[in-house]
Amino acid sequence: MVLLSLKGVQKNFGGVKALRNANLDVSPGEIHLLMGENGAGKSTLMKIVAGMFPRDGGEMLWQGRSVSFSQPAEAASNGIAMVHQESLLAPHLTVAENIFLGRETTSRTGWVNRHSLQSRAARLIADHKFPLDPGARVDRLTPAGKQLVEICRALAQGSSLLIFDEPTSSLSESETKEVFRLVKEFRDRNGAVIYITHRLDELRSVGDRVTVLRDGETVHSCLLSELSSEQLIQHMVGRPVSSIYRREPLPPGDVLLRLQHVTRGIVEDVSLEIRAGEIVGLGGLMGAGRTELCRIIFGLDPLQKGTIEVNGHPIHPGSPREAVAAGIALIPEDRQHHGLALRMPIAQNITMPDLGRVSKFGVLRKSEEASLAGEYRDKLRIKCASTTQAAGRLSGGNQQKIVIAKWVARGARVFLFDEPTRGIDVGAKQEVFEQMDQLARSGAAVLMVSSELPELIQVADRILVMRQGRLAGELPGASTQQDIMRLAAPPSHSTTAIHTN
Amino acid sequence: MQRIQKLLPLFTLLVLAIGLTIATPNFLTEVNLASVARQTAVINIMALGMTLVIITGGIDLSVGSILAVAGLLGTMAMKDGHSISYAIVVGIVVGLICGVLNGLGVSIFKINPFIVTLGTMGIFRGVALVISNGLPVHEVPAGFAFLGEGNILGIPTVVYILLAVAVAMHFLLENTKLGRYSFAIGSNPAAAYYAGVPIKFHLTMVYAILGLLSGLAGMIEASRLMIGQPTAGMGYELEAIAAVVIGGGSLTGGEGSVIGTLIGAFVMGLLSNGSDLLGISPYWQQAIIGAVIIAAVGFDELRKRRLAQ
Repeated sequence: MVLLSLKGVQKNFGGVKALRNANLDVSPGEIHLLMGENGAGKSTLMKIVAGMFPRDGGEMLWQGRSVSFSQPAEAASNGIAMVHQESLLAPHLTVAENIFLGRETTSRTGWVNRHSLQSRAARLIADHKFPLDPGARVDRLTPAGKQLVEICRALAQGSSLLIFDEPTSSLSESETKEVFRLVKEFRDRNGAVIYITHRLDELRSVGDRVTVLRDGETVHSCLLSELSSEQLIQHMVGRPVSSIYRREPLPPGDVLLRLQHVTRGIVEDVSLEIRAGEIVGLGGLMGAGRTELCRIIFGLDPLQKGTIEVNGHPIHPGSPREAVAAGIALIPEDRQHHGLALRMPIAQNITMPDLGRVSKFGVLRKSEEASLAGEYRDKLRIKCASTTQAAGRLSGGNQQKIVIAKWVARGARVFLFDEPTRGIDVGAKQEVFEQMDQLARSGAAVLMVSSELPELIQVADRILVMRQGRLAGELPGASTQQDIMRLAAPPSHSTTAIHTN
Repeated sequence: MQRIQKLLPLFTLLVLAIGLTIATPNFLTEVNLASVARQTAVINIMALGMTLVIITGGIDLSVGSILAVAGLLGTMAMKDGHSISYAIVVGIVVGLICGVLNGLGVSIFKINPFIVTLGTMGIFRGVALVISNGLPVHEVPAGFAFLGEGNILGIPTVVYILLAVAVAMHFLLENTKLGRYSFAIGSNPAAAYYAGVPIKFHLTMVYAILGLLSGLAGMIEASRLMIGQPTAGMGYELEAIAAVVIGGGSLTGGEGSVIGTLIGAFVMGLLSNGSDLLGISPYWQQAIIGAVIIAAVGFDELRKRRLAQ
């Protein structure tokens, strides 16, 4: 029996066809992977199923009945629940309050019965052995904890179909395993799961069937075991991916970035050197202090102890402004919040760190700005109709290129990449790697933080591993994932806690 | 279609003007139009500065109080025997100082601009009342009326001032680093900070400019009434904010334009002028203007939602 069946679903946004002909069949007791590049229409399709968007064409059958949900509540009451990429919880309420939000038990007089709410939540949590405290406030939870709350909410609704939109993109390894355990448990109770992911490495451990979307069309659907990873990528990008890019290391030049005994907060006594032409990987578990180290170097958090030298000159950045002036660039993990002004034109994003270059006495020279933006659009192969388009209109990969472009235009020489491939599709990832390579070739020093071990191994000349705020060791570029994990894992085998305080 | 919706404020203004021309013979007269220009100039000049502040995602509730302090100290300078031009400079500098204080509160002490200016709204007003002991200053030279009520080549002096301010603000917004950074800060303050934009300096500048313009507005107001009053300009802050919002400015920052604000201020000016001409009670005028503000923002939200889809 088929639980959910989508036939020829279409959806337009303005003049853009997000979905042309999407087909999907999901049965109870299966984990169905939905794969495709960014912009292939995966999230759009799932939002139609969950009642967040109306569809413009095609058919949707739910338990054999033709349906169209006009709002999420309608889909939820039919047993469809979606766990989102970004948490959609009320941060100031407790875990229990969030789980039953909108479906609180009330007394006859209309008061919410906190006690029964709490105990029902506790029962649900104990039932699934979640490491959650029903009375904890949601804003105190880690991303993984928040995701668990969303899953609890879906379970409490008695859903028969759970939709996960890239649930693990912000989770650590052990948290990811926890999510997988849950997903499988739900399947074993005859629930159906649709699981959207970018990550090729994780899908084998969780999926049963796979459906691939490309440009809004279903191009392939089969048992996962019938498909090799290469075939899968080929279906996703629509062309064979030439052999995986591997960087030729250069003879390193002068030391551009030197840290000595850098200490602040969790980061303790970190010393390292990066030379011109080098790409150095920085691996470690979530919370090992990698992002925090980047923040210190970029002046977001001032140093407590130690020294930072750029090209031989000691700096003591108290704000990004000073770090930028010293030639440091940060490509932040959260591109949309920290990297770009999404509503502003591409050109204005590119010139933002260095407006002085296109202005005189505070007055902008707009033609210079336009030609500069055009130059870097071509250099970084940013795909856009015009540099006057809003940056937010572009795909994740192209947005990432704008962030890189603005620093290249600024003439930065030390590049800190924090999770540069997060939320970027397979094809664009290779381009980002190539750009990192070009930066190194043009004499920049590159530090790359990544939780994706294969990426570190593929791109970095050498890999530094952090553990609990300290440097745990250094490995050559072509190391194995096991080598990295051995350095990254804490000595005791405690799992990462869900609660932060 | 989207372009048409963007022009909605302009349409509203034209419809109002045409409607009033047909409905009453007194609207399209030199006397009446000059009076509309004079009446709206004070709000308009403050609204232009407010546009800049609102673009950065901020707000300034203290402009009415700044107007009062500046007008009061300016007229007191004349009372003490200083020249008219000296007094005008005094008013403008007082406004500038008040604006810098607001700016420092917002940028250095990182207090929410609503709170900072809610506080200074009371402080500046209180200072004006203390200095004047609550009494207005009447002793101003007759020549001072030229600023608010005079004409140059048959056109009110304030129109020239408004035009100059509008052109300067438009240039500032579209063609200077300060304008660009204002949009950047309002669009995404974190991204601007990460890009090394000197946020504190620019935020202070933005509030300082609004303070300066409020000081100028204070002198024009004093000149129109030929009096310096500690209670002048009460509620003007909301009218200035309303003008920006009707003209397409967004209180969440990153959006706003000089043209839009000018149109917004004139829409409000025509509404009140038209009500006067048509004999609608001033009590109703407030309700009408309130409804127009909500309608303008409501339509703008609809437009944006459609744009986002």
